[in-house]
Amino acid sequence: MNNFTINSTAELIDALRSRGDHRVRLCGGGSRHHAQTARPFDSVVIALAGMNRIQRLEPDDLTCSVEPGVPCAVLHEELAAKGLELGIDADGTIGGFLAADPVTAATTGAASARSALLGAEAVLGEGKAFKAGSRVVKSVAGFDVHKLLIGSRGLLFAATLLHLKLRPRPPAAIDFCTDVMEQEAASRRFIALRSLAPAPVRLSLLFDPSGCRITGRFAGRANWVATALRSNGVREAKLAAATPFDEHSGNERLAGLVPPTQVRHLLRALPVGAFARIHGNGRCEIDLPAKATDALLRAMPELFVVAAIIGGTAVRRGQGTPLDAGAVRLDQGLKQALDPQGVFV
Amino acid sequence: MDAVLKSLIAIVGKHRAIVARDALLAWECDGFTVHKQLPLAVVAPETTEEVAALVRILHAGKVPFVPRGAGTCLSGGPTPMAPSVVIELARMNRVLQVAADDLYAVVQPGVVNLDLTTAVAHLGLHYAPDPSSQSVCTIGGNLAENSGGPHCFKYGMTNDHVLSAVVVLPDGSIAKLGSEAGPRAPHGFDLPAIFCGSEGTFGIATEITVRLCRDAEAVHTLLASFGDMPSACRAVSQIVGAGMVPAAIEILDQATIRAVEASIYRAGYPEDAAAVLLVELDGPVAVLEEETAEVRNFFAQNGALRIEAATSPTERKKLWRGRKGAFGAMGRLNTDLYVLDGVVPRTKLVEALNGIYAIGKKYAVVLTNVFHAGDGNLHPNISYDGRNVEEVARVLAAGREILQLCIDLGGSISGEHGIGTEKLEHMPMMYTEADLEVMARVRSVFNKDNLCNPDKVLPSRHGCAEVAKWPAMIARVLDGEGQS
Repeated sequence: MNNFTINSTAELIDALRSRGDHRVRLCGGGSRHHAQTARPFDSVVIALAGMNRIQRLEPDDLTCSVEPGVPCAVLHEELAAKGLELGIDADGTIGGFLAADPVTAATTGAASARSALLGAEAVLGEGKAFKAGSRVVKSVAGFDVHKLLIGSRGLLFAATLLHLKLRPRPPAAIDFCTDVMEQEAASRRFIALRSLAPAPVRLSLLFDPSGCRITGRFAGRANWVATALRSNGVREAKLAAATPFDEHSGNERLAGLVPPTQVRHLLRALPVGAFARIHGNGRCEIDLPAKATDALLRAMPELFVVAAIIGGTAVRRGQGTPLDAGAVRLDQGLKQALDPQGVFV
Repeated sequence: MDAVLKSLIAIVGKHRAIVARDALLAWECDGFTVHKQLPLAVVAPETTEEVAALVRILHAGKVPFVPRGAGTCLSGGPTPMAPSVVIELARMNRVLQVAADDLYAVVQPGVVNLDLTTAVAHLGLHYAPDPSSQSVCTIGGNLAENSGGPHCFKYGMTNDHVLSAVVVLPDGSIAKLGSEAGPRAPHGFDLPAIFCGSEGTFGIATEITVRLCRDAEAVHTLLASFGDMPSACRAVSQIVGAGMVPAAIEILDQATIRAVEASIYRAGYPEDAAAVLLVELDGPVAVLEEETAEVRNFFAQNGALRIEAATSPTERKKLWRGRKGAFGAMGRLNTDLYVLDGVVPRTKLVEALNGIYAIGKKYAVVLTNVFHAGDGNLHPNISYDGRNVEEVARVLAAGREILQLCIDLGGSISGEHGIGTEKLEHMPMMYTEADLEVMARVRSVFNKDNLCNPDKVLPSRHGCAEVAKWPAMIARVLDGEGQS
């Protein structure tokens, strides 16, 4: 059995039903394979990149329905042409992005993968198609099974159609940064900027051996954006894209959650040679020498930080701070209930 | 059962347990008064440990139980389907922590929605989801129902504001879902997202961490009256189409305006108007001035009969008075009120309203409309006499047809009230058997024995079973309607 590229729901169901004893690794465009756990040798890859149609785009309703293989760049372009946006820095394919729910530079109250996903059509590992949620901006009919897609890493079901909430594209946006600061000052500034109303739509505290900087983006009406820039003592700057993880650096990458008031404690706990990006929505990424990872993970619970390895050797990915035992039991129960044969790996 | 009750009372004490039949009447239904069921008993715990102890006893005794907040739900969510013990959470009403710099608060489930905002107002913060019942409904109930409200057009539903929850699962074990910094750990599933909106069927949240929002610099509220409903809806489309995201966009129809103006909630709305449109903008002052001018312009372009604006809290309260009091005002129209809750794509609002008025006429019911126009969330309200069985049957049949219309227009049978008992038999109108079976699998993970708020949300395999629990005549009428 070879690897598959799927073009339709019917093909996906067919592939899942004819997989024999093989388990399945779902894949979007393949841009995040380096962040996944090791793929079992007996598994096949089903790529959903061929399901790449924007089925419905309703600018007046602020919703669209897209197949999972739609490249985010294409979607962003289509939406921008109509004065709309998703409001999240999605990259890769949209299905892959939602399933990975990677750390992005969003801030509190901003759109998130969770808020953007209104409903979905999907297929279970056994080949059974189902839907949950709705294509309208508001629905509480039934359980939100579709929300389980977010961050599920393709382990529960394969989404075949995604109903997304859109928002008007702000008329103006300016990226900004601060000067380099020491940790305490940067932490205070980060909290202050995060507490603005409206807050920057992107906000990040960047830590490297040279010190800390804060970057972000104000978006809205042109006059307000200009005023926000002036009144908050930051300067306009072109922001560099986040550095891709270098698999051969000997480092590991952690993704995690940190309350803003704990940021200064987390920064103090980082080992020499660590880099960190801490975002306004409480999410963070830390690159650090692999030999220092376990000690940091052990220290994190006392700092109220939750984190896991997302970059490094395949066997290490997915290891992290201990989770609540009850939550782990529910996670395992959901996997068992939705994928009882353990098809998706 | 006596032994179970004794054990329950041993945990909470006699003063926090109710078993007398006449006293239990207050718990026989919520805001959906069509379906009533007297509970076996009511117990009122005050801590997570007490909730867990109660649930363990009920689980061991295989006694069904139903968690309940303020009972303001409009779909029968906290009304027992069969004789059950109600776990009343109103005494768990403490704000446990306010983390102003981290923008979150930890609350017990019985904290009243508006009380949380009041508690953090001095810090320039508020809790954004604001159901119409926010002065009495509880955060625990909001979490269970994934409640919305007028301001969720801009700020999102309850689900967008829940970071974590400590929950007592239906077997009495305790789990913490999510964390104060965010709902999903990088190596776990998004458990708060699936728990929120589970209508009390997945367990009982006993500590809830919610996101707080910084107050906007300024708030402008505008009210415009129109000679016809399509003009009001067109103005809404133009506002949203211009790229604005108002905090709230609400419409009241003429029947509602007249009910409000005849009540103690009188707000000075023009009674000759076919629709009143309420738009609230919030943000920096400089932005609001521009946006207010644009909104006024859209009102004028659509032939607004009268435009009023409010910028001070007192003036704003006056404009909102009629909207907030609309459901109360309808209490004057008859003894009972059936508040429906359907969603259509916003561009289908006019079509949906025309259909709803036609359905009202067909079934000869008194129908008023108040709705969240920005997100197409309709609340057709039917005033009726609940003692008149024939009228109740017509009301329910009209409700069913309205919800079918919402589905036909690409919408949903509930935007914010939930399924409860009210819409159990409507679920197959929106979802296939396969969809419902997958939802049932998820429920089984949390509530394997179906003891926690049993038989809600998902219809049983024999769909008529739920209906049959209603008065027999209503069931017959509904069966007839279902076949037509």
